[in-house]
Amino acid sequence: MEPDVSMETCRIIRIAVLPTGGEIPADILRHYISMLSQFNTVDLSSISSFYVEHQKSPFAHQPWDSGSLLFKFVIGGESASAWEDFQSNRKILAVVGICHCPSCPDLGEVANDFAKECTDYKSSLVHRCFAFSPSDAQLEAGGNKENDLVLFPPSDRRSQELHMQTMLQDLAASLLMEFEKYVLRAESVGTILKTPLDSQAGFGSEEMIKAKKKRLGRAQKTIGDYCLLAASPLDANAHYTTGIELARLTGDVFWHAGALEGSACALLIDREDNRDPVIEEEVKYRYYNVIQLYRRSSVSDSAQRASTVRFELEAALKLARYLCRHELAKEVVELLMGAADCAKSLIDANDRLILFIEVARLFGTLGYQRKAAFFSRQVAQLYLQQDNTCASISAMKVLSMTAKAYHIESKGSSYKSSACSNESGSSHAEGGKLHPSSIVSLYESQWSTLQMVVLREILLSSVRAGDPLAAWSAAARLLRSYYPLITPVGQSGLASSLSNSAERLPSGIRCADSALPFIRLHSFPVHPSQADIIKRNPNNEGWWMGSAPSGPFIYTPFSKGSPNDSTKHEITWIVGEPIDVLVELANPCGFDLIVDSIYLSVQSGNFDPFPVSVNLPPNSAKVISLSGVPTKVGPVIIPGCTVHCFGVITEHLFKEVDNILHGAAQGLVLSDPFRCCGSGKLKTVSVPNISVVPPLPLLVSHVVGGDGAAVLYEGEIHNIRISIGNAGSVPVEQAHISLSGKNQDSVLSIADEALMSALPLKPGAQVTLPVTLKAWKLSLVDVDPNSGKNAFTSSARMSKDGSSPLLVFHYAGPSTYIASTEISGSSSSIPPGRRLIVPLHVCVQQGLRFVKARLLSMDIPARISENLPAPNKILEGSSNKEIPTTPTHQTDNSLMKIDPYKGSWGLRLLELELSNPTDVAFEVNVYVHLDKPKKPCNTVDTDEDLCCSRTRIDRDYSSRVLIPLEHFKLPVIDDSFFSKDHKVAGDDGSSILKQSKAELTASINNLISKIKVRWQSGRNSSGELNIKDAFQSALQSSVMDILLPDPLTFGFRLKSRVEEESSSKARLTKGAVFAHEMTGMEALIRNNTREMITMTLSITCRDIAGDNCIEGKKSTVLWSGVLSGVAIEVPPLQEITHSFSLYFLVPGEYTLLGAAVIDNATDILRARAHTISPDEPIFCRGSPFGVQVLGTA
Amino acid sequence: MIVCVAVIGQQNNPLFLQSFTQEDDDLKLHHIVHCSLDVIDERVNNPKRSGIAVNEAFLGLLYPTESYKVYGYLTNTKVKFILITADPEVRDADARNFFRKFHVAYVDAVSNPFHVPGKKITSTSFSRKLRSIVDNLGSITTV
Repeated sequence: MEPDVSMETCRIIRIAVLPTGGEIPADILRHYISMLSQFNTVDLSSISSFYVEHQKSPFAHQPWDSGSLLFKFVIGGESASAWEDFQSNRKILAVVGICHCPSCPDLGEVANDFAKECTDYKSSLVHRCFAFSPSDAQLEAGGNKENDLVLFPPSDRRSQELHMQTMLQDLAASLLMEFEKYVLRAESVGTILKTPLDSQAGFGSEEMIKAKKKRLGRAQKTIGDYCLLAASPLDANAHYTTGIELARLTGDVFWHAGALEGSACALLIDREDNRDPVIEEEVKYRYYNVIQLYRRSSVSDSAQRASTVRFELEAALKLARYLCRHELAKEVVELLMGAADCAKSLIDANDRLILFIEVARLFGTLGYQRKAAFFSRQVAQLYLQQDNTCASISAMKVLSMTAKAYHIESKGSSYKSSACSNESGSSHAEGGKLHPSSIVSLYESQWSTLQMVVLREILLSSVRAGDPLAAWSAAARLLRSYYPLITPVGQSGLASSLSNSAERLPSGIRCADSALPFIRLHSFPVHPSQADIIKRNPNNEGWWMGSAPSGPFIYTPFSKGSPNDSTKHEITWIVGEPIDVLVELANPCGFDLIVDSIYLSVQSGNFDPFPVSVNLPPNSAKVISLSGVPTKVGPVIIPGCTVHCFGVITEHLFKEVDNILHGAAQGLVLSDPFRCCGSGKLKTVSVPNISVVPPLPLLVSHVVGGDGAAVLYEGEIHNIRISIGNAGSVPVEQAHISLSGKNQDSVLSIADEALMSALPLKPGAQVTLPVTLKAWKLSLVDVDPNSGKNAFTSSARMSKDGSSPLLVFHYAGPSTYIASTEISGSSSSIPPGRRLIVPLHVCVQQGLRFVKARLLSMDIPARISENLPAPNKILEGSSNKEIPTTPTHQTDNSLMKIDPYKGSWGLRLLELELSNPTDVAFEVNVYVHLDKPKKPCNTVDTDEDLCCSRTRIDRDYSSRVLIPLEHFKLPVIDDSFFSKDHKVAGDDGSSILKQSKAELTASINNLISKIKVRWQSGRNSSGELNIKDAFQSALQSSVMDILLPDPLTFGFRLKSRVEEESSSKARLTKGAVFAHEMTGMEALIRNNTREMITMTLSITCRDIAGDNCIEGKKSTVLWSGVLSGVAIEVPPLQEITHSFSLYFLVPGEYTLLGAAVIDNATDILRARAHTISPDEPIFCRGSPFGVQVLGTA
Repeated sequence: MIVCVAVIGQQNNPLFLQSFTQEDDDLKLHHIVHCSLDVIDERVNNPKRSGIAVNEAFLGLLYPTESYKVYGYLTNTKVKFILITADPEVRDADARNFFRKFHVAYVDAVSNPFHVPGKKITSTSFSRKLRSIVDNLGSITTV
């Protein structure tokens, strides 16, 4: 059988092309042949000038203006076919020699050689030898030689082609003339035409006659063939018709079929418009007849079945090729399937090969890819049966063509077509989605039975063909796609064939098909230094504002933006700072997989990946971290990983594995490689938009003296020194420090000026930043007061839960503008700033525990004496700011201040009960801050503070600390106390009551802030108790009593004795009162307000039993002067004296009490007195004064 | 004699393939079924040219091979049923009848709530049912 048969085959002139005259370099030969083979059609019109025959042409109806001769160049020639008498187109009708002159100096020799070679082609009619690139000498010598040698002088290709065309036209004309000669001779003389079918036939007398007739018919058929070759269809048709008639008469079925075939061809050539349905019907009809006849001929001679069936098949293929259109698909399929079924009766394996090739080609043309693939596979199997490398290479090539139909094609071939369309953009944009075509391929991949077979055959053929790369690729595809269907032994076999192939490959070769492992993206771990990149707004100085999470929540719904764009997150990498990407590798096969190196493959070329090598045990998955350094500004695209495994470098795309996983989820793919390795299901991670920004400064911090948590007692004050260094390559030019996290108020001070003054912080420079911390109070919930033993453990636990405050540094490098070409589409062209978060690790332990605070009052009555009180200095209308210098003799006594008028009556003390649950001793100091530092204090501490004596509290003990509050008493009672901070006070007196709350709180806070309870423990730790709340609740009810003095103060003193009394006695009795003696006394009434107070004063004296001893029946004291109902007016801030005398009848202890009813009281006084109704009289009472009355005896 | 029946999914993915011969010719049958998709594809893509009625699911003889004939049936959801028979002559009515039963069995199988559409059919009862249909047809044609 012949390949590539078609209706046209009958009219094609075969020309053998023989390289002659020594070796011709392959590329030069190829060049000559390519030049030659483009002139396979020669128009009749163009050869008329070479046509020199003068006798009458047998081709009467030759279409000189429209016809053309067709050539087929048979390179290297072929042996003569036994069937060339039957079909003249099988004959080699001309021989063309090709000679490369530089390799053969003697042209004469060449001509001889060529002539010798031509003798092998007995059927050939015309011989030419084309000699290319002759030297000048050769040109000269060759020019005058009379032979078939045609010299092609060296020139450019175009003129050589023209020369060649002319020579071929000459050849065509010669052929035409030879055909005419042949036809004329055949018509007149007749020839004996035989086929192998006839060879054995004996020639009886009857047969002789029959044979003669047959010969005539055969001659007519052959003449028809020559007419066809000479492009004269009408003549051909005429001869064929005669031939058909004769053949039918003689029962020469075989030649009948041949003639009919020729007539169909002639019909087609005659009618150029061969798609005319009538013609088509005719051709179809004739050809079915042809097939029928061939079949009959073989049936009649079944021994020759094998040889004639090829003509039947050729006819079928010719018809199929002619009809090969979609509309006639059914017919073609039947023809082809019929032809394919006949394959078994073909003996020659080559014939079968050609048949299958043709069938596959025709199915391919018809669009039946699967059938084409099926027959291609048959072809490949036939090739594989031949045991030579060339056949194996052919098998491999044919099989790789089928790969597409079976959806197992190598990516290398399929990418070339689709590479341009979805290279970078789509890999980025549709990370999660599947490409529709990839879904289809997933479905098609279910034909695993077929696919594996084909892949195995590809592997086998490429191994045989000695193409290690193709073998590697096939084995890789087989292993990667069908590992679940392959036994562990088979898997290992594939692995070893991979390594064997790789051994024969140069190192560093790449293959488009990836083998193992499966690689999927696990995550992009965000290094804190990457996450804390903040866009800088060139217009906004405080770009750090609002960037830090302000609230207590890590996630705020407002900061996330709309859910629409939530799928894509952005990652910023920095030039020169290494990054990590986590990928998961899976080896679902039963052998140890050694990945020589794996690294991120980055298309954008601005990334420097670091390769790592991994060893994956059988059926295992591993998450590994791949790192690298961005090198240039711009976006980074990471489509996958580059893997060097089994000796070949392959590209593993994340997208493909995603598709596989997706398919596995839907049951389309055999198995999920990760799940069968025991790795869990993972959400598909899409590659985020990664952009690289220019180098930024990088601050690193550490706490001087160790980064461990400082263990502090509650309230302890501690200094931390944080050392900050610039580890980047760019100086820090801007910096800002803020606080965040819990317990922010525990940071007392940050010496940020230390940092600010160090700006710009050069790379490598360091700065130390002192921070003062005060340990916060543990919340009561966490510390169970009842379980003393657990207190420590629970507090230790407390420290871990991130309650430490965070120090947030925002910093940035120089705000130089980047060239806008570098970052396309980015809104800000200023390099971003960064954030550094330094947690101030503090572990707070429970310290000194405050139990409760109580307000105590203490009464110590004053004693009456002569020298009380010293005259008050402030009386001349000073403001309340100027505190009266309290009597000096008592200021020595630090905080204890006893009012000379009041004595220590109504002394208020704050009692703090503290317990020490820890295992160290504490010393407690109470400091009271005084407003006026004017007065020198002799306390140990600062000038401003008064200090009580220290109280030591041992472990597991409680103690009480008393804080006298007398110091805070204001000297004057007036509006200003209430209206200190509030302007609303004043004119309308009644508003005072309403203002109460806020003002009270303010004044309490003011008071509390002056009292500090500090403690010290051991040598290093000291702190302050935070007991404001306790203070507040203790003081809440009685702050007015503490702060405000009574409106009136009463005092008593003895009138100076008369001068005449003896000095000794006076000295002796100084300050003493004797019974039975008139004692002059003075009551001092002081007005502490700024208004004149009118009042009614009364003075009483009580004995030790508390009875009034001035009035009543049993009064034991006589008096002179007015003691009750004394109407007095006291000017503001003045004091008046009221004199009276008492005469004690009985010695003993007496108490003098002053009291007054204030008339026309102001609102302030009412408020002070807590009156409810405005009509209520305001009663003022002084503190008692003790009088010791001595007996006179 | 029916040699093989197959169900092919919408995306030309094999959903089910059962052979009724004793020989070990699975691969061959796979190939035949796979090749038949060419013809079905063509008919699906050019329904007019192949001249089948719009509502006709039965595709008729798809193609003959050396020893078998391949018949096809296309459901509205573009699931294909393929029948490979070794009988030289099968009446269209018989084939149509067979496919109708086949279709009912398929619908029953995919109505199983545990069946995932697009996945291969692994139901043994479907396989049993098919075998009985095949046996029935075999008895009819041989009788």
